[in-house]
Amino acid sequence: MNEIICRVNGRNTSFTVQGIKRLLDVLREDLGLTAAKEGCGEGECGACSVLMNGKLVNSCLVPAAAVHGADILTLEGLRETDRGRCIIEAFSDAGAVQCGFCTPGMVMAAEALLEENPEPSAEEIRLALSGNLCRCTGYDMLVKGVGLAAERGKGLW
Amino acid sequence: MVDAYRPDTLKEALKIRAEKHAVPFLGGTDLMVQYRTQAGVLPAFPSPVLLLGHLKELSYIREGDDMLYIGAGATLNQIISHPAVPDLLKQAASQMASPALRNMATAAGNIGNASPAGDVICVLTVLDAVLLLGSARASRTVPLQEYITGPGASVLREDEIITEIQIPSAAFTCTMFRKVGTRRANALSKLSAAAAAESDRGRIASIRIALGAVAPVVLRSREIEAQARGIPLKELSRFSGELAARYGRLMQPISDQRSTAAYRRRTALAVVEQFLHQIAQEG
Amino acid sequence: MAQVVMMNDTISSSVRRVDAVEKAGGYARYIADISFDQLYYGKLIRTAVARGYIESIDLPEMPSEYRFFSVDDIPPGGENRIEMIKSDWPVFTNHEVRYCGQTIGILVGPDRQTLCSLAEKISVSYREEVPAMSIEEGLSCLGGPIHGDDNLYADYRLEKGDADAAFRKADRIIEDVIETGFQEHVYLEPQGITAEFRGGKLIFHASCQCPYYIRKAVAPSSALDPDDIIVNQVTTGGAFGGKEHFPDIIASALGIAVLSLKKPVQVLFERREDMLWTPKRHPSQVFFRTALDQQGRILAMDIDARINAGAYESCSCIVLQRAIFSVNSVYDIPNVRIRGRAVATNTVPSDAFRGFGAPQGIFAAEMHMSHVARETGADASDFKRGYILSKGGKTVTNGTVHEEVKLESMWETVSRESGYYEKMRKYPKGSYRGIGTSWYLHGGGFTGSGEKEIINGRVQLRGYADGSAEILLSNVEMGQGTATTFRKIAGKVLGLPIEKVLFQNPSTARVPDSGPTVASRSIMVVGRLVERAAEELKQRWDRKSEEHAEAVYEHPPWVKWDQQTLQGDAYPSFSWGICVVELAVDPVTLEVETKGVWAVHEIGRAIDEAIVHGQVAGGIIQALGYGAMENLEVKDGRFFQHTLSDYIIPTSLDFPEVHSFLEENPYEYGPFGAKGLGELVFDGAAAAFADAVEHALDRRVSRIPVTPEYIMELITDE
Repeated sequence: MNEIICRVNGRNTSFTVQGIKRLLDVLREDLGLTAAKEGCGEGECGACSVLMNGKLVNSCLVPAAAVHGADILTLEGLRETDRGRCIIEAFSDAGAVQCGFCTPGMVMAAEALLEENPEPSAEEIRLALSGNLCRCTGYDMLVKGVGLAAERGKGLW
Repeated sequence: MVDAYRPDTLKEALKIRAEKHAVPFLGGTDLMVQYRTQAGVLPAFPSPVLLLGHLKELSYIREGDDMLYIGAGATLNQIISHPAVPDLLKQAASQMASPALRNMATAAGNIGNASPAGDVICVLTVLDAVLLLGSARASRTVPLQEYITGPGASVLREDEIITEIQIPSAAFTCTMFRKVGTRRANALSKLSAAAAAESDRGRIASIRIALGAVAPVVLRSREIEAQARGIPLKELSRFSGELAARYGRLMQPISDQRSTAAYRRRTALAVVEQFLHQIAQEG
Repeated sequence: MAQVVMMNDTISSSVRRVDAVEKAGGYARYIADISFDQLYYGKLIRTAVARGYIESIDLPEMPSEYRFFSVDDIPPGGENRIEMIKSDWPVFTNHEVRYCGQTIGILVGPDRQTLCSLAEKISVSYREEVPAMSIEEGLSCLGGPIHGDDNLYADYRLEKGDADAAFRKADRIIEDVIETGFQEHVYLEPQGITAEFRGGKLIFHASCQCPYYIRKAVAPSSALDPDDIIVNQVTTGGAFGGKEHFPDIIASALGIAVLSLKKPVQVLFERREDMLWTPKRHPSQVFFRTALDQQGRILAMDIDARINAGAYESCSCIVLQRAIFSVNSVYDIPNVRIRGRAVATNTVPSDAFRGFGAPQGIFAAEMHMSHVARETGADASDFKRGYILSKGGKTVTNGTVHEEVKLESMWETVSRESGYYEKMRKYPKGSYRGIGTSWYLHGGGFTGSGEKEIINGRVQLRGYADGSAEILLSNVEMGQGTATTFRKIAGKVLGLPIEKVLFQNPSTARVPDSGPTVASRSIMVVGRLVERAAEELKQRWDRKSEEHAEAVYEHPPWVKWDQQTLQGDAYPSFSWGICVVELAVDPVTLEVETKGVWAVHEIGRAIDEAIVHGQVAGGIIQALGYGAMENLEVKDGRFFQHTLSDYIIPTSLDFPEVHSFLEENPYEYGPFGAKGLGELVFDGAAAAFADAVEHALDRRVSRIPVTPEYIMELITDE
């Protein structure tokens, strides 16, 4: 077992788990943070995306032992911030949400993009979302949603 | 239940590697997929796991004299954004996986996985990369082309880990990387090709070509490259079919869930020919 | 900010979806997010061979809390069958194995790690038989018939006009074979159901499209009265038909375990499991013989369509019906003979998937029309335009098109927006640049007499004392926006803002059976019931006390249909579409880059434009995946591509933005004039893509997906 001390959504957190336990399972089952979803377990769909030390990662592929000392941001944390609310509102107004299962991962990917590039082009948005699969929207309104967040959120990123 | 070791230093890591034969774990983007089970069940690693991705001692990229040193822990995104990394390697790295995976995956891990479809393996082979293998006993260097011996197989000893990738500087006048994936993003390669050439006064001075996913290991032939040396650029197009056909004779493409042997063969040859035409134009 | 539906906004004005913030903010709870006290977990144990007999099952030693349930655990009075359209699919195998992945039993226990290791130790021995996997093998009864004596779940024949007479006048005959393959839904949320026994009732919490189907399916094996079975739909992360019938398969096995253990048990599929062992879209093979006169006009068609139905019938007969009803797409061919067969094989039973036979029929129709056009030297689109149905025209079932057909004005829009004619001139055949089109339709509602005879849907509207209203019906929100659109309809009629209209995930304990969430019927049929119930409530409700109103399905009186002979109006209305795809083929790698996608649809009236355009984009991208990249083969009895890295669906970088246009044509029997939408938008894009590749290569494309590997075959056969 490994003792993991880290920060989750700004709060000091510690847990003792098998080191190879997936971060996704730690979040969803040990910490009750269910916004990150399991869509594939193989790092292909991005539904499990969270930010680790500010970088977008697939939590289904991150072992708990790697999280020691790290800063984790999930949608539960992001949605309490102005940035998060901006993205959520923009997605909602752009029609970017259909079944909603890919959406938490998409929101995290949007945050990761805007942190890096606050005024992305449509092409740059598509690239930033290229690791998040959606089967419902065909991506168009998701791209518009991210663009709308960038437009409305001037100064946030 | 297997143990996951998280050493504080490289030295400690090498000690654990020697004592426990724990499997080196960098970004984990291959290993966590390979051993995955399901929600609420631990990944089924057959042996203990040695985490290395967090070690600052491994996550560097630095220039030396005529050499670029990439630490095993440098992620693909670090490689893509570092100014000294050759363009060929940046291209390969940026077409691999996905944005999130590129934050975790490493070039060393791609080499460690030793898949014939490994995109950075293909490029690093063309760049004459050398690996530094470290152990508690000693270090040794092994050229990348000698490191991988077959799909998933390498000369890595049970107590060793890849610590560094060394890329000798080279001047090329023309380079090309082409990945043919199953789709435009987040795709495994059906085949990949990397090539670099230097021309001098209208002739080929040197040429290097490597092909991925058309043989059990990345395919590179110094014999064919030697035969191309000295060919005037104006005549290169005439020779391109013949040169490509020589690669054709060395290829052993397979049919699998992603593509067919026939397509891989045809397309690899077409890509090689395209590169030769490109050199002929650009010099 | 949330937009309120005011009286003077039209129904089509877009509002923010009612569930958008909940989903985007990560608050929505899908089945895997919901915890239960003392939850146990279930793992389905499946056959490892495609055909044969189970000779023995060896179970490992198990701790007492772990149990394996199979056919012997069906309670007294229960039957080993799942009540679906037919009841041929057993809950558990009873020695006979018909497909690889069939449920032998369910292993249940408190810890998933232990469950996994116990499952690995279950050893099953088989007497294997020769399986029939393809349509050809099924038709030839390889290994002996699986079903009946000819492996046909259905063998339908349709006649329109006089095909024999027309063929005698033929100047020439064009033959063609068009094929489509398996397709996997890849709903982002894998299958999941949790069941519990509480208050004497067996309760299912399911990611599903049809709560009442699950209830009906589980009744025979559970030996329970349907009223003692409750199904609650849980927020569903995508379905596309994959959660129409398959949850019945999980629920019936799960129900047996829960009835015995009296503990809550959860079954959640891991993605590989979902891809390997759940039903796929029916592969199809359509043979054409088309007679042309001297001027190159079509005199008649003789069509032979086959679909690979798999090991059990499920809904294959209805898929086949829709496929053959769609096999002339939007065209009025004067003399047609059609034969359709649903073939039994030893694959996982094929089942519902957006379009439900129409994509297969339309792909065949469109490719064949393009082939005929090219044989006669005509522009494919102009050729097709010469045959389009108009109001009063006859369908292949000798029914009538009751509505105005707007295809000509739709073509005007989409050909202009896409620059079709200029591009046709600019890119000669074989230039490796192409532009292609497809013309398609989708009949709204359940095929044939199903709406009245089988479903007979009911909706209840309640007005409460606080001035709010609630909609009670069994159709689910699964991403297509019904949670919003149902409320818009009721709100508009009642003059209430959307916030004052409630709609919850349906529970069979509370809502009437308005029918399944399938067949593009949710708005056209059920939305119409909502509209009528709301109109009735409006008359009687004083807004200060509680009042209820109900509406029951009424078939439009002018619809004439004979289910025995499959003659008449198979559908009361059609929705229509045209899709244009422009692309470039890389001559070195043969990869296709799609340069532009345009589509125009006529769905009567949009209940919400943003939702409609969202469905268009989603359906088209999913169909382009079907047409361009989703290759699903069967090897050794199972699906070869069964991970998301091997089964390729489109990412955000694979296709450009979809330019979507709408044409209005209100339908009297739809709410505010709306007709079906959800499947129409899938039906056409694959054919448009394939048509564009044909033009780009100047080669006949006869199957999908049109992968670079297939393109190589096309250009190599010189």
